[in-house]
Amino acid sequence: MDRVLEDFVTALRLSGVRISVAETLDACSAAALVGYGNRLLLKDSLGAALAKSGHEKDLFSDTFDRFFSDFTCTAALPERDDGVDREATLPEDPLSRMLLQGDQASLAAALQEAARAADIRAIRLPTQRSLYTVRILNALGIDGLDSTIRTFSGAGSGGPLAQADALQAARQELVDNVRQYVERQLDLYGRGIVNEYLEEALRKTRLSHLEQRHFEKMGELIQRLVKRLNDIHSRRRKAARRGHLDFKRTLRHNVPYGGFIFDPKWKQRKVNRPDVLVICDISRSMMRLVRFFLLFLYGLNEEILRIRTFVFCSNLIDVSDVFERYPVEVAVDRLQQGTDLPIVMGLTDYARSLDDFRLQYLNLVTRRTTVLFLGDGRNNNADPGTHVLRDIYQRCKRLVWLNPEPRPFWGTGDSEMKRFLPYCHAARECNTLDHLERVIGSLLAATRH
Amino acid sequence: MNNDRQNRIASWEAVQQGFRGTGYIADRAIATTVYLAWHLGKPILVEGPAGVGKTELAKTAAAFLDLELIRLQCYEGLDEAKALYEWKYGKQLLYTQLLKDKLDEIVSRDNGFSAAIDKLHRYDDIFFSRHFLEPRPLLKALENPDGAVLLVDEIDKADEEFEAFLLEILSDYQVSIPEIGTVAAVSRPFVFLTSNNTRELSEALKRRCLHLFIPYPDAALERRIVRSRVPDLPARLEKQLVSFIQQIRGLDLKKAPSISETIDWARVVVLLHAERLTSEVVRDTLHVFLKYQDDVHTVEERMPQLTTMLLRNDGG
Repeated sequence: MDRVLEDFVTALRLSGVRISVAETLDACSAAALVGYGNRLLLKDSLGAALAKSGHEKDLFSDTFDRFFSDFTCTAALPERDDGVDREATLPEDPLSRMLLQGDQASLAAALQEAARAADIRAIRLPTQRSLYTVRILNALGIDGLDSTIRTFSGAGSGGPLAQADALQAARQELVDNVRQYVERQLDLYGRGIVNEYLEEALRKTRLSHLEQRHFEKMGELIQRLVKRLNDIHSRRRKAARRGHLDFKRTLRHNVPYGGFIFDPKWKQRKVNRPDVLVICDISRSMMRLVRFFLLFLYGLNEEILRIRTFVFCSNLIDVSDVFERYPVEVAVDRLQQGTDLPIVMGLTDYARSLDDFRLQYLNLVTRRTTVLFLGDGRNNNADPGTHVLRDIYQRCKRLVWLNPEPRPFWGTGDSEMKRFLPYCHAARECNTLDHLERVIGSLLAATRH
Repeated sequence: MNNDRQNRIASWEAVQQGFRGTGYIADRAIATTVYLAWHLGKPILVEGPAGVGKTELAKTAAAFLDLELIRLQCYEGLDEAKALYEWKYGKQLLYTQLLKDKLDEIVSRDNGFSAAIDKLHRYDDIFFSRHFLEPRPLLKALENPDGAVLLVDEIDKADEEFEAFLLEILSDYQVSIPEIGTVAAVSRPFVFLTSNNTRELSEALKRRCLHLFIPYPDAALERRIVRSRVPDLPARLEKQLVSFIQQIRGLDLKKAPSISETIDWARVVVLLHAERLTSEVVRDTLHVFLKYQDDVHTVEERMPQLTTMLLRNDGG
């Protein structure tokens, strides 16, 4: 019975429940404890061992019902009183025998066995339906049935011919049965895979080419990635809070107590919170990328990262307060629509925007600041104002330029990227979710001591 | 004693029966999970909305199995020193100072340096011993010779690092104390963890536990619970009250009333000697089961519809 449980776990995994080996073992011992007699009891027990959240419980319940549902074979011929003595003319072929004897139970069992032989568990895609149907039919021994039918119909008239007709009808029914069976197995094993493919594709799709209908899915994906980064980095921060015994400090501190040492002091490591200053080009060509970039960045825990955000197009403005006042999603939407913001959405003007920055905010850039510059460097053939970027570069700890265009395009046409490059500590191509995750991950790792 | 417990928890029906005896109405899922967890030696992670009886479950299990209940309430910033043990460095240092003279005596009688070290070695266990260890709930649960029910309440409120720290206890029932060594459980405690889902728990923690989700009960179950907790409530009133609460849960509220609120309300209604639930009685006692002013407003607006339903129920 453990083999059935193994199949069930496979089906659960594919439907999106994450199950470890340890949990599978738990499920086995739970099943051994309560037995397979009571369906509801088994469901509760396996549910406790395998599904570990409200969402997973729903998936579990659904998969359980589909997996442990009965499959009946309707192909078996019912008993008929037509005067023909079937027993006398029973063919050698086991499949034909089963059909003629109307033995539903053993036919269903044979079907399960054949399905296992055809390795039905490996079915993932709708296009594989016919393949598996044929494999199962072969494993069932459809060849034998066909030759029986031929023999009977070749016999001429009377009983055998009627048998051949009946068998022909039963064959059709059997094929239908197997098709339905495969369909159900596909539903069981193939459901999650489409989702998985989609996620993988989305991570590699250029953000600027993303379709609107995938935005929600992207939001989920970003949340998952952000959670992972948060987990990794917040834990490391907390570990630094309490250190080892600082003997020197303890001695010094306890001097006033006449040399009696009883008040221990601890060594503490100070952990810097990276100071990040984001400057985004929000011209139309960049907006999509900026949207996801900010969703990602602001999803990170405040404890890990301190962020100030500036956006520019024809001029530059500080939008940090928008993010403080509204939830990230809303804030990004407001940016996109330009609600209540004194920004001019004309031609992109790097020189003017950088100059705005120099005049008002240059003093924010210190030796501890990491500056993230998000832009394609396309300045409509005007002067790019690189000297301001140089000022920032000289003041800050690290200046990273993220460009959505692939590297070979940098410096072509009106792109001034080649002239900005000398003043960047690093410049990266950044236009998919994978890129984003890598960039931000390395940002967190690099600014930590 | 131990055999007695094994008998008591021999099947899930026995658990359900026993829990009913202590006034806790458990459905099949709850009873099965408790039964499994006991026999597989696994902790139970209980999730669900506030006030559906998660903490009560652990208390009931303790009463049913006749074990001591050790409770650890989690909060942000909870660390080993408060959950497991505290090492009294101050005391240790002070003792060293006070015993300095004694030490001089011990060491000075021998002239050789190595002889003195040998002597000291014989005494160093004293300075790393239980005298300087203050046990906290987790250690107490492990050291209880009879075994205990350990309730780690609202684990989602604690930091993630604390969760990681719990893993050793949950899987091996032992902890490592740097000053002393590893302390293994004398008798395995029966562990309940509860969570209100304020944040997602780590996979590692979930993997080590059996998972139980307690949703809001359906009307029949809720009526049984109310009957067992507030026996003085007339049957007709009980039916009205439960169906009213069930209706309210369907509304869009900040905090839907849960079982504990239903029970509170039932008690209040009994105290008020109300014969039946009228819109006046409901209006006067709304605050018992609604905890936000906004929610009170929402319900008051819907009062006419809700009470018509009550009257219909009353007739039937």
